[in-house]
Amino acid sequence: MAARPSSKRPARSAAPAPAALPAAKPLALIYLLGWLIPGGGHLWLGRSVKGLVFLVMLPMMFVIGLALDGRLFPFTPGEPLVALAAIANIGSGLPYFIAQALGVGAGRALSVTYEYGNAFLITAGLLNALVIIDAHDTALGRK
Amino acid sequence: MDTTSHLLLMALFAGCVALVGGVLLKETPRQQARTAAEIFGSLIGAALVLGWVLYFLPL
Repeated sequence: MAARPSSKRPARSAAPAPAALPAAKPLALIYLLGWLIPGGGHLWLGRSVKGLVFLVMLPMMFVIGLALDGRLFPFTPGEPLVALAAIANIGSGLPYFIAQALGVGAGRALSVTYEYGNAFLITAGLLNALVIIDAHDTALGRK
Repeated sequence: MDTTSHLLLMALFAGCVALVGGVLLKETPRQQARTAAEIFGSLIGAALVLGWVLYFLPL
């Protein structure tokens, strides 16, 4: 006669423990730091080389965009494409707020490099969003 | 910036995106360099091909 399987549940202590986070740092602060200072999240997590590359490249792209007469778009909900561009601009973090405080980024639509400037400015913000997502994965030990 | 060379600006943009992309996507320096080179080549190549295709279209 086959033995009846035990109806006892395994003890709670026998369950596999969830993987411990490699970096016990609050995710919200990593997001905030990574947004305000491009690469800041990686630097805080000890990924110095990655963090330094982002810290140099993303603000540099932002500055090149401004130098090419690009525009920091205002947030106008009535114009969806402009609003999306504005969100992308804000993604650059501290450089965006510094530029706003200095009054630069009005853009010069007649300039031959205007669209190139916008491409640099928008892409810098969007790449910073990807960098923040990468910092998130790094903090969770996925990378 | 005192340049109106579209090719130069395109290459500068592609270089920046490629470097960030390569570092973002890969972990070792060799992989990062290879990925960055692939992204750079893809961006420049696609732009040149599209440029020539559009050149022949009567738009």
